[in-house]
Amino acid sequence: MKALYHGKTTKFAKYVVVALVIAILAMLVQSAFASHEYEIAAFLTVALIVIAIVYLTEISIPFKFLIPGALFLFAFVIGPIVYTVVMSTFQYQTGNYISKPEAILKVQALGVAPDKAGTTFDVLVGRNSANEYAILASDILTRRYFISSSTSKTELFPVDVEVNSDGIAQKGTGFTPLSGEERLASDQEFAEIRFIYNEPFFIKLEGSSLGAVNQRILEYKSDRDVFVNLQSGDVYSDSGQGNYVNEADKEEILQPGWRSPIWFSHYIDLFTNDKVRKPLIGVFIWTIIFAALTVLTQFSLGLLLALAMDRKIHGRRIYRSIFILPYAMPSVMSILIWGGMFNTEFGAINNLFGTDIAWFQSAIFARVAVIVVNLWLGFPYFYLITSGALQAIPSELSEAASIDGASPRQIFSKITLPLLMQIVSPLLVASFAFNFNNFNLIYLLTGGGPSSPLDGDIAGATDILISYTYKIAFGTNVQNLGLASAISVIIFIIIASISLYGIRKSKVLDSFS
Amino acid sequence: MFKGKLSKIAAGALALAVSMGLTVAPTHAATHTKKITVWADESRGPNLKKVIEAKGDWVFGYTVEIVTFSSFDALKTAVDNATDLTGPDIIVGANDWVATGAKNGKLAPITLSNAVKARFNPNNFFDLSYKGKLYGVPLDVNNVAMIYNTKLVASKPNTLSKMVSYYKKNKVSKGLVAGLCIAGGGTSWGAHSVLSALGGSAYRMKGGVVDATADPIDPALLAQNIQTFLLDKSGKSNGFFPASDAGCKDNFLAGKVPFAVIGNWEWKDYVAKGFAMNLMPVPGYKAGTHGAMFGSVSGALLTSFAAKRGVEAGAKDLLVNFFASTDGAVRYQALELRPPAEKGAGKASTLSAAQAGFGRAAGLAGIPQIGSILNGAPGSKSYWDLLPAFWTAVLVDGKSPLAEATKLNNFFKLNIAAGVKDL
Amino acid sequence: MSKWLRENLWRHVVGVLVSLFALFPLYLVIISSINPTGSLQITSFIPQEISFNNFAKLFNDPTIPYLTWMKNSLIIAGTVAILSVVVGASSAFAFSRLKFKGKRIGIQLLLLAQMFPALLALSAIYVIMERVYNFAPAMGLGTQPGLLLVYMGGAMGVNIWLLKGFVDSIPIELDEAAKVDGASAMQTYWLIFIPLAIPVLAVVSLLSFIGTFNEFILARLFLVDMDSRTIAVGLQGFIGGQYSQNWGPFAAGSIIASVPIVIIFLSLQKYIINGLTAGSVKG
Repeated sequence: MKALYHGKTTKFAKYVVVALVIAILAMLVQSAFASHEYEIAAFLTVALIVIAIVYLTEISIPFKFLIPGALFLFAFVIGPIVYTVVMSTFQYQTGNYISKPEAILKVQALGVAPDKAGTTFDVLVGRNSANEYAILASDILTRRYFISSSTSKTELFPVDVEVNSDGIAQKGTGFTPLSGEERLASDQEFAEIRFIYNEPFFIKLEGSSLGAVNQRILEYKSDRDVFVNLQSGDVYSDSGQGNYVNEADKEEILQPGWRSPIWFSHYIDLFTNDKVRKPLIGVFIWTIIFAALTVLTQFSLGLLLALAMDRKIHGRRIYRSIFILPYAMPSVMSILIWGGMFNTEFGAINNLFGTDIAWFQSAIFARVAVIVVNLWLGFPYFYLITSGALQAIPSELSEAASIDGASPRQIFSKITLPLLMQIVSPLLVASFAFNFNNFNLIYLLTGGGPSSPLDGDIAGATDILISYTYKIAFGTNVQNLGLASAISVIIFIIIASISLYGIRKSKVLDSFS
Repeated sequence: MFKGKLSKIAAGALALAVSMGLTVAPTHAATHTKKITVWADESRGPNLKKVIEAKGDWVFGYTVEIVTFSSFDALKTAVDNATDLTGPDIIVGANDWVATGAKNGKLAPITLSNAVKARFNPNNFFDLSYKGKLYGVPLDVNNVAMIYNTKLVASKPNTLSKMVSYYKKNKVSKGLVAGLCIAGGGTSWGAHSVLSALGGSAYRMKGGVVDATADPIDPALLAQNIQTFLLDKSGKSNGFFPASDAGCKDNFLAGKVPFAVIGNWEWKDYVAKGFAMNLMPVPGYKAGTHGAMFGSVSGALLTSFAAKRGVEAGAKDLLVNFFASTDGAVRYQALELRPPAEKGAGKASTLSAAQAGFGRAAGLAGIPQIGSILNGAPGSKSYWDLLPAFWTAVLVDGKSPLAEATKLNNFFKLNIAAGVKDL
Repeated sequence: MSKWLRENLWRHVVGVLVSLFALFPLYLVIISSINPTGSLQITSFIPQEISFNNFAKLFNDPTIPYLTWMKNSLIIAGTVAILSVVVGASSAFAFSRLKFKGKRIGIQLLLLAQMFPALLALSAIYVIMERVYNFAPAMGLGTQPGLLLVYMGGAMGVNIWLLKGFVDSIPIELDEAAKVDGASAMQTYWLIFIPLAIPVLAVVSLLSFIGTFNEFILARLFLVDMDSRTIAVGLQGFIGGQYSQNWGPFAAGSIIASVPIVIIFLSLQKYIINGLTAGSVKG
C-alpha cells in the first residue's frame, strides 16, 4: 500500500492528470480571451497558475487538499455572490443586456429599412471579375440585370446573361457563381455585405436567392456619441440609463440598449420608489409570516408526535415508518401531487370535504394551502429531531421532579420543554432560514399567485421574496436582472444575519474562535 | 538531487501542458453544423417534423431540427427565457409575440419578394410586423366561434338574453353546469367575444385603425350587462358564464353546457362527436349585435439568434421555401388541419363546413389582435392578465362589477395610449 | 384497562390521525395511477378497476420522453453525488486536520458560503454560464455539463461543512500515531481517514443525490430541450397547469420517480437523520 504513494508510476500518472487539467484550462483561457470574456479568462488563468504551483511543486501540502474544492467554491458560489453585487449596480434587463459597443453595432444594423416600394431582386451569389463576393441580380419583369459587390456595380445587357425559365439570370459575363458547398460555407459572410445600389440605397441578401433594397436610417456620430436619423434629423443621445434617447421626445428610445452602470439606483428604488417598494414590503411581511408559521406548525406537530410516541405503545414502529414517508418522498413530486389535490373542480380536497373552494384563486385559501402542504412536507423532520432530543434529556431530572411532587404537566413545561428548546433552537433557526427561501414550494404549488392585476398587483399573495425575485429576473416580458440582484443582496444580508445568530447560539464558532 | 529532477519534470510538464492547451485552437466557431432549429408547440411540432422530414431538401445544405414543447404556454415560457445561446432560429408562435420580440431584439426582420407576398392576405403581414418591419411569415389563421348543441337548443340563439333564459329554465331539469363557456382560446383570448357581447372591448376600431381617443369600455354599461346576464340578485354569479375554461370542452361534449366558444384548431374533435358545425359569433346584449372575436395569425418567426449562429441565410430560405410556399403549406395543413394562411393552400384544401363556419363568424364580428396594445404598457398590465382577473373578480370573488369594470377600462386605456405609438 | 386508556388512547388517536394525513396524498396518487380513466377526479376512494394504461402511456407516448428524463436525473444526480464528495472530502480533511495560513478566514468563508442558497445568485449564475457558453458551448448555459458544474459548486459548501464536522469527531490520536510512523499527510488521508470515513462519505453522497434529484429551478432554467430535462423539470412541464388532462400518467410517473428515493431514504434513515441534525435541512 505504502509503495503506491511513492511509486514512479503514480508520480507519472499524477503529472499526466495535472498536465491534462492545465492543458484544458489553458485552452479555455485562450477561448475565453478570444471571445472577450476577460473576467472569466482572468479567473481561469489564476486557477491554472494556482494548480500548476500547488501540484507541480511541494510548496504546500494542505493546499493540495484544498484547491479542488476551493476552486469550485470560488467559481460557483463566491464568484456569483460577488457578481450579484456587481450586477445590482447596473441597468441590467431585457433590452439592456449587451455592452455599449455591441449595442451601437446592433442599432446601426437595425437602423436600415427597406425602400418604400419594397424592391427586391432575384439573385445568384458568386464572384465578380475582381474576384470579390458579388451577386448577379435579376429583375424578371423589366429584364434588368446587374452584378454588384460591396465596391462596384456593373449593369448587364440581356444578351450578357443566360436566364432560366423564370427569367432569373443563371450566368452572366464577368460573374462566376459559387458552387452549392461554397455558398453554404460563406452564406453568413454574404448576409453581412451591403451590395452597391443607388446611393443612399444598397442591397442586402435575404436568404440565398433574394436581394432586398434597403436604406440607412440611423447614423452613428462617434465624435458626439449620438445617433442621427437621416430622414427626420432627430438626434438620439446617451441617457445615462443605458439607452439612446431622442432629445426631442424622451419617450422614444432606440433598442437595444446596453448594461449601464447606475450605481445605487436599484437600492434607492427599493426604499423610495412606491412601485418597487410597496409590493416588496407586502412580500417581505408574508415571507416572515410564512417562514414563522411553517416552523411553528411543523415543530408543534412534530413535538406532539414525539410526545405521543415517547412510550413503547403498540405499533410504534409502524407509526414511525408512516410518519417518515412524506419526508422520504422527493419534495418536487409531493408538491406537484398536492397541486392536483387542491384543484377546484376535480381535486381530492374539495371532493373529500364536499367543498367547492377555488384554493389558488383566493389569497387566504392559497396561503392556507401553502402552509398545509409545507406542514405535510416538514413535520417528519421535527418529529425525528424532537424524539431524538427527548431521549437525550436525562430521565433523572423528571424523576426527581416527580418525587418532589410536580405534576406531569409541570414537569413538561418547566423541565422538558426548556431543555428541548435549548437543543432544537438552532435547528428551528436553520429551518426558518431554509423556509425563508423555500422557492420550490411556492413556485410549484401556487406560482406565487393569486394576484389581482386589476388592483395593480405585481407580486402574488403567496409570493415570498425569493419567488418574487425570480419573477423579476426571469418571469415576465421584461427580465430585470439588475433589480433582482439588488433584492438578492438584501435577502442574503437577512439570511446571513439569521444564520449567524443561529450558529452563535449553537456555538459552532467555538471550535475556532 | 531528486528534488531538482522532480522540479525539472514539473516545469517540463507545465510548459508542455500550457503549449498543448494554447495550440489547440478553439474550433467551435469555425465548424458549426448547418442546422436550423425550429421551436413549436405540442400540436404543430410533431406535424412540422413529419412534413419536413418527408422531404429533406427544403434548404440546400441545412438540416432542420424541430423542438416540440409540451404546450403553447411552455413554448412561450421558453421563448421568454431564450438567450442568444439557447434560443432557436425560428419560432412558430403567436402574432402578438412580434412586438415584444422585436423590442427586446429576440426577433429579426425579414424582407419578402413581391411574389411571396402575393401569396398572403396583406393583413396577415400587418399582424406580424412591428414599426413597419416584418418579422416572419404567416402560417395558420386562428379564430374562435360559438357553437350550440342542437340536441339541447332547438333554434339558433340570436340574443344573449335568450341564451341566459334558456340556461335558467333548464339548469336543473337538464343538469346544466353552465350556459356558455370558453372551450378554445382561454378566458382572455377566447373570451374577448364575451366581453364584447356585453358591451366592452380591448380597444375600439374606427375606419380600420385603432381609435386611441375612445374609451374601450363604458364601465356603467358593462357593469349593468354583467348584472343583468351573469349575476343573480345578490350579486353572485348565476352560473351562466364560468370564470374558468377548465372542463368546458368535456362538459359541452357531454351535453352539460349548451353553448361554447371553440377554437378553429379543434373543430375536428367536435365533428368526431357528431356535432353540427353551426358556428356563429356570440350574440350581443342588443339584438343584432355580436361579440367581436380576435382573429389572429400564427407565424413562423425569424429570431436574431439565427444570425449569431451563422444560419440566418438558411433560416430565411426555410421560411420562404417551406413555411411561405404553397407546397409546404399544403403538406403541413394536410396533417395539422388548421386554416392555412397561404392562399394557394387555402384553395387547395377542400374547405370543410367548419372552416367555412369559422370564416363566416369572423366576417360578422372580427377584431384584429394587436399585440403591442394587448401585451401591456410599462406600469400597466397585459390584457392577458387583466381579463381573466376581471372575470374572477366579478364572478368568483363577488366584487362590484362597476368598480372592477372601471379599473379594467383604466388599464386598457393606458395600454392603448402606449401601444398605438408602436404601430 | 382504564389506566391504559388514559395513558395510551390519545397517543393512538394522534398517531392514527397524523398517519391519515401523511398517507392520504400517497394513497391518492397510487389509486390515480391505476385508475383507467387517468382522471384527476376520483369518483371513489376505493379503486373499482385496476389498469396500467397510465404507466404504458408514460413509456410509449413519444411526447413524454419519461425514460430519458429519468436517465438524465440519475446521471446528473449520481455524478454530482460522487464527484462533490470526492472533491469535498479532501477539502474537509485539510480544514479539519492540516495547518495552513488563512485557515481561520477560510473556515469563516466556508461557513458563509454553505449558508448561501444558490438560488439567490441565480441571475449571476445565469449570466456567468451564458458567458461561458460564448467560448465553451459544451459546458455553458443550456447544457447538462454546465448544470453539473453549477451543482458541484453549490453542493461543495454544505458537503465540506458536513464532512469537516465528521473529521473533527475522529480522535486526533489516530493521525498522531500515523505521524509518528512517518506517514505523510497524503498517507494519513488515504490510509486512515478515507477508510474510516467511507460510511459518512456514502451518507453525504446520498444527501447530495437526493438534493440534486429534487433540484428544480436551476434545471428548469438550464435545460430547455425536451430530451435534456431532468425528471423534476420534465414532469412539472408535463403537468403544469393541466392537472385535469395529464393527471393519470403524471401520477404513474411520480410514483416511479419517487420509489428509488424513498427506498434509499428509508434504508439509510438513521445515518441521514444524523446528517440532518448536523444542520442541513432537506429541500
